[in-house]
Amino acid sequence: MPAEVKQEQSPSNQTSLAMMQEPQEVVEETVTIEEDPGTPTSHVSVVTSEDGTTRRTETKVTKMVKTVTTRTVRQVPLGPDGLPVPEGSSPLGSYTDSIDRRYMKNGERFITPQATSTLTRSYNNYSDSYNDTPDTQFRHYTLHDGYGDMPDNYGSLSRGVNYRPYRPYMPTGGYRPENSYTLPIRKDDYGHVAQPQVPMGSSTVDLNRSQPERFQPEPYGLEDDRRSLGPEDEEPYDLEPDYSTANRRTLPGRTIREPLRNGPRVRGYEDPIEAELIDERHPYIHGMYPAPLAQPERGSMASLDRMGGRRSPSIDSIRKDPRWRDPDLPEVIAMLGHPIDPVKSNAAAYLQHLCYENDKIKKDVRQLKGIPVLVSLLDHPKAEVHRKACGALRNISYGKDHDNKVAIKSCDGIPALIRLLRKTNDMEVRELITGTLWNLSSYEPLKMVIINHGLQTMTNEVIIPHSGWEHEPNEDSKPRDAEWTTVFKNTSGCLRNVSSDGAEARRRLRECEGLVDALLHALQSAVGKKDMDNKSVENCVCIMRNLSYHVHKEVPGAEKFQDPSALQAPGSAGTQRKKKDDAGCFGGKKAKGRKNGEHDKNYDTLDLPKRTEPTKGFELLYQPEVVRLYLSLLTESQNYNTLEAAAGALQNLSAGQWTWSNYIRATVRKEKGLPILVELLRSDSDKVVRAVAIALRNLSIDRRNKDLIGSYAMRDLVSNLPSGQQRPAKNLEEDTVVAILNTIHEIITDSSENARSLITAQAIDKLVAINRTSQSARETKAASHVLQTVWSYKELRNALTKDGWNKTHFQPIAAGTPKGSKSCKPGYDDTTLPLMEKSQGHRGCSGGDMIPMDELGPDGYSTIDQRDKDSKYKSSDISSDLQEREPLKNDTNRKHYIRSNRPTVSLVDACDVKPQPVDSWV
Amino acid sequence: MSFIPGQPVTAVVQRIEILKLRDGDNLILGFSIGGGIDQDPSQNPFSEDKADKGIYVTRVSEGGPAEVAGLRVGDKIMQVNGWDMTMVTHDQARKRLTKKKEDVVRLLISRKSLEEVVRQSMMQR
Repeated sequence: MPAEVKQEQSPSNQTSLAMMQEPQEVVEETVTIEEDPGTPTSHVSVVTSEDGTTRRTETKVTKMVKTVTTRTVRQVPLGPDGLPVPEGSSPLGSYTDSIDRRYMKNGERFITPQATSTLTRSYNNYSDSYNDTPDTQFRHYTLHDGYGDMPDNYGSLSRGVNYRPYRPYMPTGGYRPENSYTLPIRKDDYGHVAQPQVPMGSSTVDLNRSQPERFQPEPYGLEDDRRSLGPEDEEPYDLEPDYSTANRRTLPGRTIREPLRNGPRVRGYEDPIEAELIDERHPYIHGMYPAPLAQPERGSMASLDRMGGRRSPSIDSIRKDPRWRDPDLPEVIAMLGHPIDPVKSNAAAYLQHLCYENDKIKKDVRQLKGIPVLVSLLDHPKAEVHRKACGALRNISYGKDHDNKVAIKSCDGIPALIRLLRKTNDMEVRELITGTLWNLSSYEPLKMVIINHGLQTMTNEVIIPHSGWEHEPNEDSKPRDAEWTTVFKNTSGCLRNVSSDGAEARRRLRECEGLVDALLHALQSAVGKKDMDNKSVENCVCIMRNLSYHVHKEVPGAEKFQDPSALQAPGSAGTQRKKKDDAGCFGGKKAKGRKNGEHDKNYDTLDLPKRTEPTKGFELLYQPEVVRLYLSLLTESQNYNTLEAAAGALQNLSAGQWTWSNYIRATVRKEKGLPILVELLRSDSDKVVRAVAIALRNLSIDRRNKDLIGSYAMRDLVSNLPSGQQRPAKNLEEDTVVAILNTIHEIITDSSENARSLITAQAIDKLVAINRTSQSARETKAASHVLQTVWSYKELRNALTKDGWNKTHFQPIAAGTPKGSKSCKPGYDDTTLPLMEKSQGHRGCSGGDMIPMDELGPDGYSTIDQRDKDSKYKSSDISSDLQEREPLKNDTNRKHYIRSNRPTVSLVDACDVKPQPVDSWV
Repeated sequence: MSFIPGQPVTAVVQRIEILKLRDGDNLILGFSIGGGIDQDPSQNPFSEDKADKGIYVTRVSEGGPAEVAGLRVGDKIMQVNGWDMTMVTHDQARKRLTKKKEDVVRLLISRKSLEEVVRQSMMQR
């Protein structure tokens, strides 16, 4: 949707222009690449489209590339205005024009994006094309693709934009026929010039928010993570696929030799002179209007004309000039090896432009062996060259075609990117590198490769410095806040993706020095500044959630905390334990109770393991202190993906039976987290509801939590259930409904008091309806388990009978399960049980980025696949999975509980000091 | 007026619409609330049922927007802009009332005198 997307980054383009010396000849046209940027495209998102599945985003960033193909005609000097166009100047002018326009038109989207200078150009162009051009060919393409749907029509726009660029100057002089492809040699100069509107520096920060999408990163993020930006991101993805193709499609007809680009080229060539002239004018105008380009009739062009209002007479003639032609793809790739550096960089920039959203070209580049050449240019000493090569790789790496990603990896592109990351201080290059890595990280098989080569480097070079965390805090200086830069966003997106690659990946990340510390610091800084809705925060929370998964099994030394009997972790333990505890609590036999049991009233005295030294590294993941952080996020964030991830983190941490999960469960209560979670059950976001429901289920392993949740959350849980035929307004997913049913089942197990609350919440109607009429076997089964459990409480049967229910309502419809005696309780087969949820739920859960759990097994939270399934969810990542819960043991003990004695609890832990009556002025 | 959590409540309610008073960046309703599920209900002087954890109006400032709108001390707030207030924490209630974006708050309140009026009118009939 929204946003965004523009990413353009075309910085490269600009640069490219320059240099060559081609004398007088013509000019270059630069092409920038385009496109997209302007367009709404946002690449972002979109991916979805197709199946809905993937959202990968690529970063469309690339598009930006404006292609600058410049045709350089330097000579050309005169502008329409009659001004001589100086070589240098002309270029500038053109850029500016394009840029400005875009901004203007697109308005929102564009605005921020442009951090890069290059971008600007494209923007301008876009806008123009955008608005005006509908007629253009480009648009048509877009339409076909279905882009049309997108609000922005990015596809179309983008391209249009691209084309614009050409405005460039046409050289008055003769063009060189063949050389034309030699890319222009302009200098980078313009780049800067062009940008005027967009602030470079600042942009980064803002960008994230406003336009998170722009870059590929998100996409990636999306894929894996699920959480990527909110809705915004996701949608964009969808778009992409289509349109890229579409745009490109244009090309298809042409043979290679033909100019790759339709529009642009055409113009470029043909228009040359006029275009240039026009451009020159613009410089002055810059931001103002879309530059009037002269355009040929080409579709896009036409549009431009309108905009501009003026058309230069010469244009037509120019267009027809047969002498110009764009280089074909093999030629461009060959130019990557040209001895002259500017030729290399221009060729790379042009490739970036061509690849933007064009899957076909990406594939062709791969088949023509262009990728290894680009990778080799990463080590080129000249910034211009490696920057452009990096830009091209970013575009190539974006998209669903995993072969492109594999091709980059097979020629050792990942270590080369990491090397460059270590070496360069250029922010733009770092953004490109990390964007490329984010793209690559969306493909499962590459995740471990990225971890092996780049984890520590990304942590040391990006995560730690941008998080504000310091190994040895300087006492004099106050702690630094995190900087939400694009580089940080891209890198955290990449790590979010790789963190979903199973137990080994989690181990590596947890043990990566400084990573967990820095992420926590960044999140705390976000909470402190109330800046919690951006993509970077989302990425960080998702990483934390993923790393929290299975901590009780995977962390070194975890076994020390496992032994229930030795430790005081009664609460968490299975029912048997509970029994004892309960006895202690309710029966007053404290003496026997374990000292530290959670259940114990004296939670406050609970002994945390002694720490001889400050906690650091992965231990921070499960310290009770993190509870407050997640609760702050749950309270304040508006980003559904962040909410889901924070709830997922609590879910993961409260699973399992080790000492720490006991502390976590108690701490959530103590920090008054239960009301916060319960409130989120009313969220409009399906995946948030699901994550919260599962977290509540895990939290209810703690007996006191169970009582509280049963008393105060039941109504909200029940209100999320579909009633009869119609679903509630929210229309929750099957996975969510099953999760809620399982949570209810957990809460009423061993607690007739809670079962009574369930009845008073009027849930029986809904449960019976689900049991009898649901189309979903899983929902039916889960509802049936709940009903059986309810019926198993003999003391409730009277009340039920009064309400007109009888035993048949509580029996499984299809299955032959006996009535609900305790024994009937469904065993914990996965389906019902929480564990099951994981797997099943995952898909659903993860929505966006998640990966399908099923396939992965417990660990795979984040798989990508899910998305497909879940296309609905926009969110990107996540793995929902995190939750795991262990099956409860049977409750033979149930009887032991003294129901009547159940202490009245308020949602907030009773242990808390009794609040004085509070009175608040409003 | 007692109720069981989760069960429908029958109550005589009155709608009250309060237009917030803007004072700089602050929006003022002009009353204070007490109660909430996280508070000790036994200390609520206004409730009949001492187990009622609902939100009650404890003070109304003279001449303030709330008084102008007809709110009175002791009124029990049932809903705020459609949101249930009978099972919320004190802070949740406060937040619902003090949304910066909303200039108007629509309350559903119940009050003992209202019930009496209704009862009487029914008896007369």
